[in-house]
Amino acid sequence: MAGARRIVVTGMGAVSAAGIGAPALWEAARDGRSCVGETRFARPYRGRIRISAQVQDFDPAAYLTSNVLPFCDPVTQYLLVAADEAIAQAGLTSAKPLGPRTATIIGTGVGGMHTLENGLYLTLVEQGRPDPLTVPRLIPSACPSMLSIRYGSTGPCFAVSSACSSATQAIGLGVHLIRSGLVDRAIVGGTEDCVTNSAMLAWEALRVLTPDACRPFSKGRNGMILGAGSAVFVLEEVEHARARGAEALVEIAGYGTSADAKDPVRPDAQGAAACMRNALTDANVEAGEIDYVNAHGTGTTANDATESEALGIVFGDRLAKLPVSSTKPIHGHALGAAGALELVVTIGAVRENIAPPTINWREADAKCPVDAVPNEARPMPIRTALTNSFAFGGINASLIVRRAVAA
Amino acid sequence: METKALDHTELANQIIDVIVKEGMVDREKATLDATIESLDLKSIDIVMILTAIEEKFDVYIPMDGPFHEAKNIRDLIDAIAAYIIKEKN
Repeated sequence: MAGARRIVVTGMGAVSAAGIGAPALWEAARDGRSCVGETRFARPYRGRIRISAQVQDFDPAAYLTSNVLPFCDPVTQYLLVAADEAIAQAGLTSAKPLGPRTATIIGTGVGGMHTLENGLYLTLVEQGRPDPLTVPRLIPSACPSMLSIRYGSTGPCFAVSSACSSATQAIGLGVHLIRSGLVDRAIVGGTEDCVTNSAMLAWEALRVLTPDACRPFSKGRNGMILGAGSAVFVLEEVEHARARGAEALVEIAGYGTSADAKDPVRPDAQGAAACMRNALTDANVEAGEIDYVNAHGTGTTANDATESEALGIVFGDRLAKLPVSSTKPIHGHALGAAGALELVVTIGAVRENIAPPTINWREADAKCPVDAVPNEARPMPIRTALTNSFAFGGINASLIVRRAVAA
Repeated sequence: METKALDHTELANQIIDVIVKEGMVDREKATLDATIESLDLKSIDIVMILTAIEEKFDVYIPMDGPFHEAKNIRDLIDAIAAYIIKEKN
């Protein structure tokens, strides 16, 4: 809003199937390099679909000390490593507590899925004694709590759990808390790892996983690929960042959210369109100013058709010429972390003026009349971008990213 | 799990039984020409139906093309029956 406090990103970090670091994730997305592969399971797997974008070869002990590790499910491990990268880029340090004017808000759909599954297996199948740290490790709020402890951020601290919209809502709430004046800074993002035996079987039962390749907005698409990982951002009020000499990577200009209030699993175009419009209004940006959309684009039949319809409601005749890509075939659908991984990609798109491609795209589908940036990245001026997250239960969330104005 | 050979009519009737139960549809309304829309069968209902069919016939049925194009109960039965017959042979 005009005259309101403006919010910039001063640091970001990620752990994903692309490896450690936000640059690794952005470069994989930009270069159209899929990180999907054969899943490594902790136990024998009887499912039919074995591919995912799993975080592999991640050694938490290389990054986290032995007094922290016992409290960390893999989702917290990814989160802390991603956060260390973001904090370092922002020019901050864990040596100096961030204090009461810093909020910590993290989105996760499930929280400690590995801890949950391992605990159930141990207690129900093996009749073993649970690890005493099972509870503090599996609670979704362990994610923001462990961050607040690490950086001494004593302001508002909570987890957001809205399935696949969790991270985008967490980031958006951070923007609004800063804008309201309640805090000056927020550590926000998302984390998830449901690439486990039971969770993969459950997703397979829903019949939304592709057996071969995720191809959003394309004819012949047949489902999504599960992903995992975390991404974290340091958000600051622009004058606050400027005063301490921190570089603004981009501005988060707006946040919108809405509920379909319709169906537990079926998406609704009106709800999604309302969400995008809320974000535009919040950013005080016209639809015509959006140069690129990083879509939710799961690659399921239903999502991509509904998201295309919603984009049509918002962008009208411009839709056919508006670049709308989904990078989920590259980093997978990271569920509660999806919006955070995709914000890394969207920020990369704005900073490098490149629309990342929708890989595996074969041919146009009449139900998805969008310019999906098929298979090849497209260098183009991108000043303002929109990124969408839509969740089961009809919870929608969108963010608007704008090129930072030089100080 | 069914072990005896099935003729198409018998198979269709068994599939209708599952559609009626899992889709929570009135049996009188579940005619071959009844549209999926008129029965208010949503994609999650189709998922529940296919899962029950898989249990009943011990087959795997991917929810691909024919299921997205199915307009009525006949199309749905044909799509399901094709997989059962393929796997059983």
